Amino acid sequence: MRSIFENLWRLGPAAFVVKAIVAAIVGDALLLAFILLRRTYRKRYFSKRDARVFELRQHWDALISGQISYERWRKKPFDRRIVETIALDAFEAAGPAESARLLKFLRTSGLIEKRIFEARKHTGWRRMRALVALGRTRAPEGISALAEGLCDADLETRLAALRGLGRMACPQAAEEILAWLGEKGLTVPALPLQSALLQCCAERPQLLIPYVQNAAAPLREVLGRVLGEVATPSMGMDLLQFVGDELDELRAAAARAMSHSQTGLGLDVLNELARDPVWFVRLRAVVSLGRLSDRRAIPSLLLGLTDANRLVRLRAGEGLVGFATEMVPIFKQVVGTHDRYGLFAYLTALENANLRGKLESELQGDTGVDVEEKKRLENVLQTGTLPVEEPATLASVPHKVEALP
Amino acid sequence: MIRFLGISNHTLFWYYLASNLAYLTMLLVALRTSAVHQRRLESHRLNWIKETPLAPPITIIAPAHNEESSIRVAVRNLLALDYPQLEVIVVNDGSQDRTLEQLREEFRLRLVRAVYVPVATSAPVRGLYRSEIDPRLLVVDKEAGGSKADAVNAGLNAATSPYACIVDADSMLESDALLRIMVPILEDPKRVIAVGGIIRVLNGSEIVGGHLRRVRLPRKSIEVIQVVEYLRAFLIGREAWGQGNMLMIISGAFGVFRTDLLRAIGGYKPSAIGEDFDVVTRLHRHLKETGADYRIHFVPDPMCWTEVPSDLQSLGRQRARWQKGLLDVLWANRDMLFRPRYGRIGSFALPYMWLFELLAPVIEIGGIATIILAASLGVLSRGFFLQFLLFGYAFATVISIGSVLQEEITYKRYNDWQDVARLVSYCFLEHFPYRQLHMIWRLRGIWQYMRGDTVWVPSKRKGLESATVR
Repeated sequence: MRSIFENLWRLGPAAFVVKAIVAAIVGDALLLAFILLRRTYRKRYFSKRDARVFELRQHWDALISGQISYERWRKKPFDRRIVETIALDAFEAAGPAESARLLKFLRTSGLIEKRIFEARKHTGWRRMRALVALGRTRAPEGISALAEGLCDADLETRLAALRGLGRMACPQAAEEILAWLGEKGLTVPALPLQSALLQCCAERPQLLIPYVQNAAAPLREVLGRVLGEVATPSMGMDLLQFVGDELDELRAAAARAMSHSQTGLGLDVLNELARDPVWFVRLRAVVSLGRLSDRRAIPSLLLGLTDANRLVRLRAGEGLVGFATEMVPIFKQVVGTHDRYGLFAYLTALENANLRGKLESELQGDTGVDVEEKKRLENVLQTGTLPVEEPATLASVPHKVEALP
Repeated sequence: MIRFLGISNHTLFWYYLASNLAYLTMLLVALRTSAVHQRRLESHRLNWIKETPLAPPITIIAPAHNEESSIRVAVRNLLALDYPQLEVIVVNDGSQDRTLEQLREEFRLRLVRAVYVPVATSAPVRGLYRSEIDPRLLVVDKEAGGSKADAVNAGLNAATSPYACIVDADSMLESDALLRIMVPILEDPKRVIAVGGIIRVLNGSEIVGGHLRRVRLPRKSIEVIQVVEYLRAFLIGREAWGQGNMLMIISGAFGVFRTDLLRAIGGYKPSAIGEDFDVVTRLHRHLKETGADYRIHFVPDPMCWTEVPSDLQSLGRQRARWQKGLLDVLWANRDMLFRPRYGRIGSFALPYMWLFELLAPVIEIGGIATIILAASLGVLSRGFFLQFLLFGYAFATVISIGSVLQEEITYKRYNDWQDVARLVSYCFLEHFPYRQLHMIWRLRGIWQYMRGDTVWVPSKRKGLESATVR
């Protein structure tokens, strides 16, 4: 009797197809078996876990107060994982008193030390998990282990360390991140880095200044953006150096940060940045001018209202609407720009703030405006069209330097 | 004749083998990508995005045409999405029912004069309304433009955010869908210009208070087969194409784009039959021609649940329309083929679309015809034919089960054993006669297009009613 292989051989060219059929059928069977086994395993695992979670929950207070000896659950990895997960989940939503109690438990039970050990000694996936858990504890003693994780070769591990340090939300963690950036440069995506620094630098934003000054271009942009968010009024003088920076992002960051600065200084700078050739720098400047709520910002906001970029126009409109005590004179000036898009942006902001009725009543009660003018303004407000339709052209407005976004 | 039949059968065999091997490769790429994605999520907490001031504003644009029965639930769902800076624009595209009235009653709309810059072509706007209850909601009431693209353009003209998220008003987004879809953009805002999310089948599931409460497999076979198709198309196809930066379609039901770029290409093309494919292709063209360094991503976990046709007639019409859309875009962009300027889009993605998507029904139906002819002439090798049939069947089933596996090990939305068993069984059943029917519908689409029938006809949809709404 011939073997199966001999039979296959005799099939000639069709043998290939037969092999392919066999492979495909085996593939189907393996996939099905995998799905089946995985489902069964998971079902068993989760039912066992649920039962154990329930048991541990029944004795939770005794467990974290130490009445139940830590040794009873620490030696069993299954129990230890459950206890740690429950504690860290509770930590996320806990108030100060409960946080302190949980942190004390994590320390005295040795869970933090264990995670620090794992973060230092393990590699790859296990190290990453340890770093994530360590970050969630927010225990300051974990900072150095997390900082070591920043130098890992694997990006995901570095990100886990970075996010963990971000959760610490303290200047010590910021110093570690900045020192690492100074040494290695930008080796992680910008967003997690910015998020971590935002959390850590809120207390001492001055930490960022030397790094922004000295970093290379891409990192400078990233740090500048963070600086823009966390800057405080006391940093006004420090921020001035970035107003004329060659990097657009940094000028934009300076514009954003100047909204926190002392008004007099901020105004001059922002008025200058509101005329920047780059649209997002103008956008940041206009938003900051609106936040300053200083009437000296009105001319620049009016200029912003005639900007080529619609986002700048909209934000300028919102800024102008913020001057609730001077609605009539501002509206008059808005109409005076003869810019249809600008008028629309202002009316949009007015209506979004639900202030159109207020402007109408103020316009009616205003004695400083002559009857003819009042009628004209009321008409513009009602119809949303300029008295003489003069849609602004690109050439008629000096700062329409770029196409619409 | 016999020589012709021989060549034809061999061509069919190799075509089929190549097509399945391509899918197998995509399955492997997708499995790997999903595993990496799942690991990354381990250290990623979405609430960080929710809390960060760095998250850019998004405008959701939801075109609605005769959606009176579901518009309230749908808009409530959109407004309840987790995202720090959100604007929702609902475009009432000349509805003849009470869609606008429903919105007025539910959200206390007032007429406003919001900025509307007609950059993209759209039918005239009758009015803009802002909600007094939730000022993030803007309703654009416009005359019927005859296409979804026209309605999206109206929303685009009113949008005020740097990113626009296009959704269907009768689809249901999961509450963290925006946070998830924005992850690639936030990680690389300079290069990532668009992201597509996954579309899943809503039919049969349960919606409570504007939220998807329970995911169930639909009852009808025709709907379950579409679940398998969607899993295969998104979890394998798009995931793999996205990895190679060759994603050609971002579903019209859920995708995020940079608003400035959408405006730069003139918005959606109102005359396009497959507006979602068209817009992504034009974005590729625009960016390749300007030499931009960009990426278009696909993210498999921000889920959008949508209704699929529940009868053969509607499904046939939908698939014919998709095929027309495919041909329309491929033909319009045929100059991109094999031009080095368009990189891998011109040299790989588009040729694949021509060969394995557009011409598939022609080749398959042609192949079946030649097999029948060969059999009638008595020159068909029955043994080989049966082997080929079995091989094709088993191989195609591997791909389908692979997509179910992908869903199982990653997102696992079907918790019920029964659902998974049914899903797997349809992986075996979809090949006869659904596949052949599908080919006929697609062939009909090509025929209709060649005859000049290029009008965009919206399909009748039950929308959120396809799920159990409470």
